[in-house]
Amino acid sequence: MLKVRGLSKYFARGTANELRALCRLDLDVRPGEFVSVIGSNGAGKSTLLACIAGAAIPDEGRIVLDGTDITGWPEHRRAGRIGRVFQDPLLGTCASMTIEENMALAQRRGRRRTLRAGITRAERARFREALGSLDLGLDRRLGEPCGFLSGGQRQSLTLLMATLVRPSLLLLDEHTAALDPRTAGLVMRLTCDVIERDRLTAVMITHNMQQALSYGQRLIMMHRGEVCLDFSAEEKSRLTVQDLIYHFHAANPAVQGAVSDRMILS
Amino acid sequence: MSLYAFSGAIELGLAYGLMALGVYLTFRVLDFPDLTVDGSLTLGAAVSAVCVTKGLNPFLSLLPAMAAGFAAGTVTGFLTTKLKILHLLASILTMTALYSVNIRVMGGRPNIALVGMPTVFDPIRSLDVSPFLASNILFVILVSAVILALVWLIRTEYGQALLATGANPKMITSLGVNTNFTVITGVGISNSLVALSGALIAQNQGIADVGMGVGTIVAGLASIVIGETILGGRRIAVVILSVVMGSVVYRLAIAAALSFKPWGIAFQPSDLKLLTAALVVAALVLPRFRDSLRRKGGKAARDA
Repeated sequence: MLKVRGLSKYFARGTANELRALCRLDLDVRPGEFVSVIGSNGAGKSTLLACIAGAAIPDEGRIVLDGTDITGWPEHRRAGRIGRVFQDPLLGTCASMTIEENMALAQRRGRRRTLRAGITRAERARFREALGSLDLGLDRRLGEPCGFLSGGQRQSLTLLMATLVRPSLLLLDEHTAALDPRTAGLVMRLTCDVIERDRLTAVMITHNMQQALSYGQRLIMMHRGEVCLDFSAEEKSRLTVQDLIYHFHAANPAVQGAVSDRMILS
Repeated sequence: MSLYAFSGAIELGLAYGLMALGVYLTFRVLDFPDLTVDGSLTLGAAVSAVCVTKGLNPFLSLLPAMAAGFAAGTVTGFLTTKLKILHLLASILTMTALYSVNIRVMGGRPNIALVGMPTVFDPIRSLDVSPFLASNILFVILVSAVILALVWLIRTEYGQALLATGANPKMITSLGVNTNFTVITGVGISNSLVALSGALIAQNQGIADVGMGVGTIVAGLASIVIGETILGGRRIAVVILSVVMGSVVYRLAIAAALSFKPWGIAFQPSDLKLLTAALVVAALVLPRFRDSLRRKGGKAARDA
């Protein structure tokens, strides 16, 4: 269970260019809940995820995961509890290392790296089985460098790696945005399967309103560093993209251009 | 090339091969151009020489030498990770500081002669083997041991984290590795190998000199690129072996260049740094040049 309380993050604080990316944001995510977050560029979605993952340090507020206050934890320490998939497919895996080596790194997420073998025979068998579930033929390519894989394959592998050791929280930062529509659909379906199978708690950022409506149990819209709309699963099931745009303008009458073309069209 | 020059070149190639392995660890594994080595090679030589002159067993003197090299590497690692100084600059700062440290270590003198002192080569020289072979036998044993140790290290959990730190720091952080730790210890291990190399060179040549480390990094890079060109390959054991081979071939090439007199102009030893630098530039640029040629070739084929 994730509890975010009064989270604020400023960029270039105290200068003329000060930018408030997060503004006293509160958010609760229940165990097993899959939340989609939408919002225009600069709404603070990525900053929120970065603060939860520890890649950015918030200026105010607290982040509590499963009852532990992790606000002051460095990124690598939080990694023991948080699995992540990035937008850029190249970021999630090591191109120069083989598929099995990458998976062995993920298998040790949150553990001390010792002088024991970096990969064991038993693990190899387990990795082959896990890769088989992707149905991409990767289970026959364990010894190949990840650089040989396509963007979609690498993103699927990253998702598998992020969940190889069950995370308390899975963070997906527009993880299908860099893929073509068909591959994006495949990766999205895989994401849902994994989240359902392992009953994971997940927060997914997306620019795509349709994706946000189709997947996840809850939908949050952010604007100017705040949560401006929050739909439960039940409310969400009745929503259309048009409703979402209408709701957004109703909630923010003064705001022009908060819904970008990209959100509607993609 | 005389047999003497040939054997001497192999000897140097193996001795500096240990240094090249250290440079490989930073330059290729951690993606960290580390100039600390110019200072830590001398540091290893100085520490070992002082220990030997104070009566320590020459074999045991290798340990404090390696420890000193490790410490020098961790300073560079600390400057770049915790203090966020650009890695290249951090290593230049340590290298510069080491010049003063090395003279201090040697008791305020710029060199220590080891003539008549015991060295690690004594036991094998006392056996009845040709003097051309004696040092080489020991070097082959030592270098093989270090190669095996490195291959083992890279295959451990820690070693895999080192590889990932160089290749994709963001990813390995998200998998729970503290990259500050891997960088600091990795640069430390690298420099302990370089210091070991310096200690052996000093004992072999009978002198530790404050200027002996100049150009170490360039020689290390030359060895790496020559090795990659000769052996290639992706398996870690092959890559590590190729670095040592590259170092030997590099020293042989130098020996050949020195005995070669084109148009009556003889190279002198002081020309070597220039030649090496030119060699490394060529090795770094040629792959890119080849790629762009291939691209142009492909375009021509399409246009036709």
